[in-house]
Amino acid sequence: MPKILIIEDEEIITNLLQKKLEQEGYDVEVARDGEEGLRLIREIWPDLILLDIIVPKISGLWVMEEINKNPNLKRIPIIVISESGESFELKRARELGAKDWIIKTKFDLQQIINKVVQQIGR
Amino acid sequence: MSKGEEKINLKKDLKTSLEERRKELEDAYFALLNILEDTEENRKEAEEGRDRTLAIINNFSDGILIFDKENKLSFMNPKAEEFFEMKAKEVIDKSISKLSEIPLFEAITNLLGKESKKIFRRELAFKKSLILEVTIVPLKKGEEEIGTLIVLHDITREKTIERIKTEFVSLSAHQLRTPLSAIKWTLRMLLDGDLGKLTKEQSEFLEKTYKSNERMIELINDLLNVTRIEEGRYIYQRIFCDFVEIVQSVIDSYKREIEKKNIKFEFKEPKKQLPRILIDEEKMKLVIENLLDNAIRYTFPGGKVTISTELLENEIEFKIEDTGMGISKDEQPRVFTKFFRGANAIRMDTEGSGLGLFVTKNIVEAHGGRIWFEAEERKGSTFYFTLPLTRPKME
Repeated sequence: MPKILIIEDEEIITNLLQKKLEQEGYDVEVARDGEEGLRLIREIWPDLILLDIIVPKISGLWVMEEINKNPNLKRIPIIVISESGESFELKRARELGAKDWIIKTKFDLQQIINKVVQQIGR
Repeated sequence: MSKGEEKINLKKDLKTSLEERRKELEDAYFALLNILEDTEENRKEAEEGRDRTLAIINNFSDGILIFDKENKLSFMNPKAEEFFEMKAKEVIDKSISKLSEIPLFEAITNLLGKESKKIFRRELAFKKSLILEVTIVPLKKGEEEIGTLIVLHDITREKTIERIKTEFVSLSAHQLRTPLSAIKWTLRMLLDGDLGKLTKEQSEFLEKTYKSNERMIELINDLLNVTRIEEGRYIYQRIFCDFVEIVQSVIDSYKREIEKKNIKFEFKEPKKQLPRILIDEEKMKLVIENLLDNAIRYTFPGGKVTISTELLENEIEFKIEDTGMGISKDEQPRVFTKFFRGANAIRMDTEGSGLGLFVTKNIVEAHGGRIWFEAEERKGSTFYFTLPLTRPKME
């Protein structure tokens, strides 16, 4: 089963994502902040990371910078989650290697699943 | 005439001419006295005038600096002394290069170095607690330049309030948006039956709740965008994009809406392939969304919405035509202003912030394009906008 790590502090969002992704047959782990996220990445080596740009302790963009320092970790596809869809935020995320992005207020769960499938299949 | 008579006549003549001269002299004397008196008055007046001007300048709530023709500081009023925390006598007669050695003066002298013939303004943060609007005015007497006037206006308070307002708006928008996303996702999941099957009635209620939530999200986004536009903080990140692809993706996201409303829709793709253009993808999507959303919303079932894109000589033209309610003649000049909503639109649909077209116009113009429309009430509206072709710079 492909493993997905969600790094996101909003509980309802993670609950929904986790439930939906598990229904689709993925194995899901959740980190509540950037620090825990970085630790879990090294522990479980996920197949994909769903990363909120604004999370406590270490921001999403910083998490990406840390990941980029390790060539093995760098291979893991990342989909960033943005609250607002700020262009500069998304541009920076793209520069840091994000494969795709989700804007919370614009996308539905199904569209997010589609994006995940696009990256790693089922 | 005898010699005696001649003498008498001569004496007489002399006497009259003497008399005349005396009178002339007397007149001249009084005239001179008058002139002297006037001069004295004028001098007094001039002195009073000067004192008055000086009093105004000295008590002025803005700081004033005057540089002479040789770019030496020739005047500094008490308010300016206060801003710079130094006395005029310490700096008067110093040249620009000498003044630039004083830390607080450096910002000013830097501006002066930029040899400008016109008035110009700049906001400068001097210290954490002091932000000044600096206005530089070249002083002229006829054609001759006689120096430079610098007005220092304290805008610390305005700037602080502006910052607090911005922070408040972004913070509250963020705080409002986060739970709205959660609500949106939860409702969607319920509606999709992921959390168990719903009755028809339950679905209907939830569908309406979902829609209200969507409107709230839109409203907050609109408000945030307007705030940013007005503060000049609406940031654009341009990359080369396929315009038709963007149009298509927006149309795709409205498919369900179009079908539900039972209106015909057509997208006429361009005859010639469009070159990629430099645009901010997310903001351009917002432009097309706003225009398409309006067209669908204000077109009656059975009506038609047509989108076309065309390659013109130096630009791409986007056109969206609907057979909807149109805009009345007298309201047309206000269409792109903030909070505008047509009277007929309000009757049909009470929702809508009236901010969409304001934001749309700003985005199009920030891309160097133009936006306009043709509309007739009860017949429909056609909105157009153009985007200039930008080719990648050759190295």
